[in-house]
Amino acid sequence: MLFIGMNLCSLLRKRCVLILIISFFVLITIVSADDDLPCYHCHTKVVNEFRNNIHYHKGFTCTDCHGGSTQSNTTSISIGVMSGDFIGGPTRNNITNTCSNCHVQEATDYKQSIHWEEIEKGHPEAATCTDCHGIHEIRAINDPKSLSNHQNSPTTCAKCHSNPEIMSAWYYGIKTDRFDTYKESFHWKALKSGYVVVATCADCHNNHDTKSHTDPTSSTYPDNLPQTCGKANCHPGTKFDAKIAAGLIHDKESLHTGRLVFNKTGMDVQMKSYYLGPFDLAYWIAIFFKILTAGVIGLFAGMVILDFLSRLRIYRRW
Amino acid sequence: MQKPRLLEVTEPEGSELTEGIAGEVLFKRFTFNQLVEHWVMIATFMLLVVTGMPVKFPDAWWSPVIINLVGGFEMRTHIHHFAGIGMVLLGIYHVVYHVFIDKEPLLERKVWPTLKDAGDFWQTILFYFGRAEHPKYGRYSWKEKFDYWGAFWGMVMLCVTGLIMLYPFVAMNYIPYAYVHLATIVHTDEALLATLFIFIVHWWNVHFSPEVFPMSKAWITGNLSEQQMKHEHPLEYEEAMRQMQTSEKP
Repeated sequence: MLFIGMNLCSLLRKRCVLILIISFFVLITIVSADDDLPCYHCHTKVVNEFRNNIHYHKGFTCTDCHGGSTQSNTTSISIGVMSGDFIGGPTRNNITNTCSNCHVQEATDYKQSIHWEEIEKGHPEAATCTDCHGIHEIRAINDPKSLSNHQNSPTTCAKCHSNPEIMSAWYYGIKTDRFDTYKESFHWKALKSGYVVVATCADCHNNHDTKSHTDPTSSTYPDNLPQTCGKANCHPGTKFDAKIAAGLIHDKESLHTGRLVFNKTGMDVQMKSYYLGPFDLAYWIAIFFKILTAGVIGLFAGMVILDFLSRLRIYRRW
Repeated sequence: MQKPRLLEVTEPEGSELTEGIAGEVLFKRFTFNQLVEHWVMIATFMLLVVTGMPVKFPDAWWSPVIINLVGGFEMRTHIHHFAGIGMVLLGIYHVVYHVFIDKEPLLERKVWPTLKDAGDFWQTILFYFGRAEHPKYGRYSWKEKFDYWGAFWGMVMLCVTGLIMLYPFVAMNYIPYAYVHLATIVHTDEALLATLFIFIVHWWNVHFSPEVFPMSKAWITGNLSEQQMKHEHPLEYEEAMRQMQTSEKP
């Protein structure tokens, strides 16, 4: 017994020392931490992200979005913060309300978008402010690392729009090849090579009031395309009777699978013919050139090889 | 050593022919005008291939390498546009010169494909398998005619679609966007075909083939030696000799 007791005793003593050392370091950390943000001690990762946030640089703190009291001191458990009107993480339906406290115009625009429409219909997966701007790491729009920077727009949109699970979550038929088809365009090829003054998603689909291309007020509605493409910095001088609409901007469909995709999405016949034209010419032209190239190069490369072989056999062929 | 004498086969009434042959004879193959056209073609074509292919294959590893090498994407685009306009002007000049300014009757040019070329084509294949004699070519062999008309067709396709792509929103006043999109397909696919043809077939014929290696100098001097003439264009050579003899007789 005595043996065990002594062992327990020394164990306890060791633990006491350990606890003392730990609490000492915790105290040091608490006191010495750069402490404008009392949430740091528990939400270290989040706060570190927040330090890259444009709002942090402008003097906002956690409580501006999450509610609660800013009067708490730097005790290790900030009960004060979590009191009062503390809301924690806002639900996806409420994020816009939080942002709209300051960003009134943006929120008003956003509330006309198909994303907000879907959220209101009860599909919280639809994009809200944080999906495009980041949750805690909201960078300035002209920061190259920003999710919503002009050149990062394709990858940001593709997070959801290339994801079949999200796209088929509320109704079948939103195409997941939007980014892939954008990659076929000259815009992407130029962007990828560092020429950033080309159109990305938000330039045509509008950044906040994104609407379906079947909506007559949408910037991508066929009748509105001349105006959209003819923006001052893009292709000015585009006439209103320019025949932009009679073709697919996301190319691949008319190239390869146009008919199939349109049949699947159940678009009405008039719209379909408006987009595809009477005949899927691109498909047949691509096939024609495949055959022509393979034929001509195959034939003549074959001749080159035969020519070479014939020289091995007949040194003087004349 | 005697200076090589130039034989103008296309102009048998020329004074040089009456003097007969002494020393080495050179045969006029291309006029200086044609040589310059070819040089401009080489320069613009190479620039266009180098600046165009990285966009045809944007995911290839060499694509960013080449784009950086020519000075970034914007510079690539400028080079491509300027070289393209150069090639369009060359095409217009070529057609205008050889149709309206060149005195030789249009339909009597030796560049038009004939039935003999179809026969020669078949005979060449048979020759490669050791079943026939090598066909005797006139001024232009069927390969050279195919080269020329292939380039002609390619120039028309590439210049028209290239101009559509250069001014897409001007083009869209007349044709739908779908056809501008078609232009990109036609332009890049035709360019790939032309590039492969030039680099594989044309370069083999005039550059890498053991017969001419390291190169056939006709593209610089515009002349062929008697030896080359006998080998490559025997019918034209015989014709030239006949003309020379008839002009020597009186």
